[in-house]
Amino acid sequence: MSESPCDHDSPMWTPCNEDVNSLLCRSFPGDASYRELREEHLAPEAPVHIHAPQVFKNANLVHVISVEKNYVKESINVVIENIDKAAQDEYFIPFTADQVSRLGGVEVKDRKDATAGPFTAEVAEFDPTSDTQYLRIQLPTPLKSGAQQTLGINYYLLKAYKPLPAAIAQDEPQFLAYSFSAYAPSVYTTSKQKTEVKFPSTSIPDYTKLPGSGDIKEFPQKQGSKLTYGPFDEKPAGAVEPVEVRFEFTKPVTHISLLERDIEVSHWGGNVAFEERYTLYHRGANLSALFNRVKWSQSQYYNPNTYAIKELKFPLKVGSADAYYTDVIGNVSTSRFRSNKREALLEIKPRYPIFGGWKYPFTIGWNSDAKNFLRKLSGGGYVLNVPFLEGPKQVEGVEYEQALIRVVLPEGAENVKYYTTIPPSSISEVEVQTHKTFLDTIGRPAIVFKARNLVDDFRDRELVVTYDYPLSATLRKPLIVFASMMALFVSAWALGSVDLKFSSK
Amino acid sequence: MSANSLQVLAAAGKGESTRTALRVIILCLIAAAAVSSRLFSVIRFESIIHEFDPWFNFRATKYLVANGFYKFWDWFDDRTWHPLGRVTGGTLYPGLMVTSGVIYHALRALTIPVDIRNICVLLAPAFSGLTAFAAYLLTNEMTTSNSAGLLAAAFMGIAPGYISRSVAGSYDNEAIAIFLLVFTFYLWIKALKLGSMLWGALCALFYGYMVASWGGYAFITCLLPLHALVLICMGRYSTRLYVAYCTWYALGTLASMQIPFVGFLPVKTSEHMPALGLFGFLQLLAFLDYVRSALPSRQYQTFLWLFAGGTFGLGLAGLVIATSAGIIAPWGGRFYSLWDTSYAKIHIPIIASVSEHQPTAWPAFFFDLNFLIWLFPAGVYLCFQQLADEHVFIVVYALFGSYFAGVMVRLMLTLTPVVCVAAAIAISTVLDTYLDARSPDPENAKAEEAVEGATKKASKSGLKSTTKPLVGIYSYVSKGVVVTAMTLYLLLFVLHCTWVTSNAYSSPSVVLASKLADGSQHIIDDYREAYQWLRQNTKDDAKIMSWWDYGYQIGGMADRPTLVDNNTWNNTHIATVGKAMSSSEEVSYPIMRQHEVDYVLVVFGALLGYSGDDINKFLWMVRIAEGIWPDEVKEREFFTPRGEYRVDDQASETMKNSLMYKMSYYNYNSLFPPGQAQDRVRQVRLPEVGPTLNVLDEAFTSENWIIRIYKVKDLDNLGRDHASAAAFDRGLKKKRAAKKRAPRVLRVE
Repeated sequence: MSESPCDHDSPMWTPCNEDVNSLLCRSFPGDASYRELREEHLAPEAPVHIHAPQVFKNANLVHVISVEKNYVKESINVVIENIDKAAQDEYFIPFTADQVSRLGGVEVKDRKDATAGPFTAEVAEFDPTSDTQYLRIQLPTPLKSGAQQTLGINYYLLKAYKPLPAAIAQDEPQFLAYSFSAYAPSVYTTSKQKTEVKFPSTSIPDYTKLPGSGDIKEFPQKQGSKLTYGPFDEKPAGAVEPVEVRFEFTKPVTHISLLERDIEVSHWGGNVAFEERYTLYHRGANLSALFNRVKWSQSQYYNPNTYAIKELKFPLKVGSADAYYTDVIGNVSTSRFRSNKREALLEIKPRYPIFGGWKYPFTIGWNSDAKNFLRKLSGGGYVLNVPFLEGPKQVEGVEYEQALIRVVLPEGAENVKYYTTIPPSSISEVEVQTHKTFLDTIGRPAIVFKARNLVDDFRDRELVVTYDYPLSATLRKPLIVFASMMALFVSAWALGSVDLKFSSK
Repeated sequence: MSANSLQVLAAAGKGESTRTALRVIILCLIAAAAVSSRLFSVIRFESIIHEFDPWFNFRATKYLVANGFYKFWDWFDDRTWHPLGRVTGGTLYPGLMVTSGVIYHALRALTIPVDIRNICVLLAPAFSGLTAFAAYLLTNEMTTSNSAGLLAAAFMGIAPGYISRSVAGSYDNEAIAIFLLVFTFYLWIKALKLGSMLWGALCALFYGYMVASWGGYAFITCLLPLHALVLICMGRYSTRLYVAYCTWYALGTLASMQIPFVGFLPVKTSEHMPALGLFGFLQLLAFLDYVRSALPSRQYQTFLWLFAGGTFGLGLAGLVIATSAGIIAPWGGRFYSLWDTSYAKIHIPIIASVSEHQPTAWPAFFFDLNFLIWLFPAGVYLCFQQLADEHVFIVVYALFGSYFAGVMVRLMLTLTPVVCVAAAIAISTVLDTYLDARSPDPENAKAEEAVEGATKKASKSGLKSTTKPLVGIYSYVSKGVVVTAMTLYLLLFVLHCTWVTSNAYSSPSVVLASKLADGSQHIIDDYREAYQWLRQNTKDDAKIMSWWDYGYQIGGMADRPTLVDNNTWNNTHIATVGKAMSSSEEVSYPIMRQHEVDYVLVVFGALLGYSGDDINKFLWMVRIAEGIWPDEVKEREFFTPRGEYRVDDQASETMKNSLMYKMSYYNYNSLFPPGQAQDRVRQVRLPEVGPTLNVLDEAFTSENWIIRIYKVKDLDNLGRDHASAAAFDRGLKKKRAAKKRAPRVLRVE
């Protein structure tokens, strides 16, 4: 697959010219206010119940499932054809409720026409209690009756695997199992389809075998580290063929349940400070026996390949400085930070090797010169351009269940606008809060992005914030400090000159 | 030109406001020096809480900040002393935590949100600056010399004896208590000098603060009445003394009784009786004073003797009866150990097992006080020369402080302030004498000296100096030599203090530092590695059994319930843990089951050569357990027949079978080639076959093996005991192997 969600050719911008608060009113699907809002929108199409209208047909579909990393990346490339009489602009994909809760990073584009954008994809809430949920893809221009369009739908599924066996010894290889349907999920009739599964290695001890069709005797076909189910002939809407694969994955299954990322801009200090707090879990196989230090230190010599997390590497932006790495009980000394003109690499080691089922929360942070991220606009405003996500870069990938990105602007900044290239469906809520910290009187505006189900493929997505910062706001802090010190001195002098003694004369 | 500017400078130096400004600046600099000299560990390592007790204080402070004052006051902690729990709010000195909490909230109110950890780490250095100021005030009460106070402040700021308990991160009660001690003494002197009720009340207020902060408040409780008694015996009873003492005692006692941990102790225990007794005595004296003014002197004499004898006899009898009836508690164990240094070793091993309760070695005095220790007697001598009421205080304090510092290492802390004050008096006297009246013109100097000598003489009413020539230092050589020598000593003192602070007192002890081959610092962080593992990967209420030293750290860093901790309030419970550690597996297992122990934590230094490990502390566990179960645990059995404490193959059977030994050396052999296992602390080669463990599973061992954590096995599924279950497992494997290996022999005939 050449189209990865990281491609920049079709930026999903969210232009924001109005008040930020009213802009992206997305919240978690369970949120009551959100539901109300959606219902209002849905009012005209209320008759639509569980099934989406059969207005499309999938002429040809290729479903690529990549289990190379510790999350699943799926892409569905499908030629859709409007079989209805009227022009249609809404295409649906079904998911189970469980999948929807783990679904993230949905991006849709036209495979033939890169300029046809933007496709918005979001979960359509027909019936929150039903097990079948739908992803609604809004086509930018309604597809005429009988016309075809090629969609490239990319999405990620987190927490996708279960280790099998669930508990293994410290030095054994780890195997993961993944269940899916050999037929791509669809609410429409699919004329022709195939499913490809890509594995991290050729070691795939178990996979479900299906009777073949046509000249192929048995599905799947195995080519190196790839399995191919199909091509299948026409399947009705909602057809499912459960399939399970089990493959070797002797790498950590790093899962970050919560990432809190703070970006704090200081104009006086000329500094942008980053701090990230991770709650990290290893979702791989548990230890069958308790941790054995002797075995561990010996295996470090002859077989360093292990499924335990030994090290995390954070390639930071060039120019980062003063990196620190702590956890709840203080500094962790096992880290290295290399910063030069070409790179700034923070390598951290957890206090102990993290095996399956273990947890390790930690905090890292660093500073950077403001000029690396902050630019003054000719109109007087400022524009801040920072990466949305800067997690560890691991071969096996990293998944984030919840991310809370907070951009703290200087006190008195106003007219705050933002846009980001992260898929809008991943951001569940954006709000502007007031953050009060050192010597603040009115507090600093802080934009808080709540995002969910992200993966490290989104590491280099941008987050752009523009704001105005008038001179009066710049001078507020020194003036207030000066005034309060003066007030202190004056009151001390006034108190000192009060004579409380009885006159000695 | 230059002379002109010098004159201007000199003139400026003479103005009163300039002097005040200078003094303020110097005091600020001294405070800055005091603070910065305590920051070694923060710069070298990080902002971290040190050692053991501070971890509890830190945890309590976090609780206070999170839950508010009233909840803190009523805090029942079920995560320590499992299954007993601890009424923490009622059994601690809250002063330290409340101080930090107030600072925390005050800074918040000033919109300076500082992390509570940083406040706790930096509290001791900040208070050391205040202590220096308090020493300045106290010394100024003793002498008219302006320099003495500043010198005392400087000494107090950097004396290692005080730094030892107040470096950044040593968040202990002493951190604020020494300031309160010195300041209370200053207020006492002030109250006594002025006979002022206001100062007496202030003194009581700070005494109350002191009581809320540190158990060492008893030092004040005993010292002030003693001072008063000495004054009375010297015939210096005055209304000033009466007012000062009675104000202090009445208000101070009331204040101290507000602390739940102290409660009614001030009227119940022997430690507080001198203060109460003297309070009564002063009332009698005041009464007698009144009677004397009303009666003729001969009748008064008789009255006095009868009255004094009767009162004394009654009082003593009352005290004895009350003590034996149990109304007044007799002296506590720690106090007995102050009189007889071997008392604790025999009767209360738990007190003796703490290294800071050991008697002080002589070099420690020089180590902690450097040249102050030999100036100290000189200063006390100078106090004798003047011997006003306040000088008597210094003399009394010096005597008692020296004694207590001699019997217990940690009480060096209470001696340090008086040493600083006395030494400052001595040095300032020397410097005032030898630096006096230096002017470029020798004749002028002579004249000035003569004038000064004359005034001195005039002020002294003695007769012996009238015929003698003027006393003064005439020779510049002697002036130069003495001044140079003193300057040198002062400089050496600074060097010594810096060296001691940097090398002896700035290690957090949670983190160990070592040097790599290339000279770079390598940090050994095993404690936190293991604690973090416990915190993240065991269930929230997993009970950890370890020796009590690590209780506070486990509570603070691993956030898990412990059986015993550094509070040591329940000797039996500690002895139970000691028994579990020192008995064989069969005996220990039921104890651990009964206490719902999930994990056992031991500290093991053999791989790294870390000498503060549990095997070296093991004999104390044995002794403490023996104190409760003399029939089951016997110290003698842990020694070889020749009386040696060994861990190698010569070790006694009891030693080898003890749980502590097994936990320490379990699996240690497999790290070495066969027969090469080496204990780097005790410098011995270990037996070729390591111990086997049946009732415990190794759960975690830190990188350098300093911390080893074992999981207590559940009961066997088939109802066997663990030893036979383990033997069965091992035996089964062997049998299988044997079966495979032995070929079947077919009988042919």
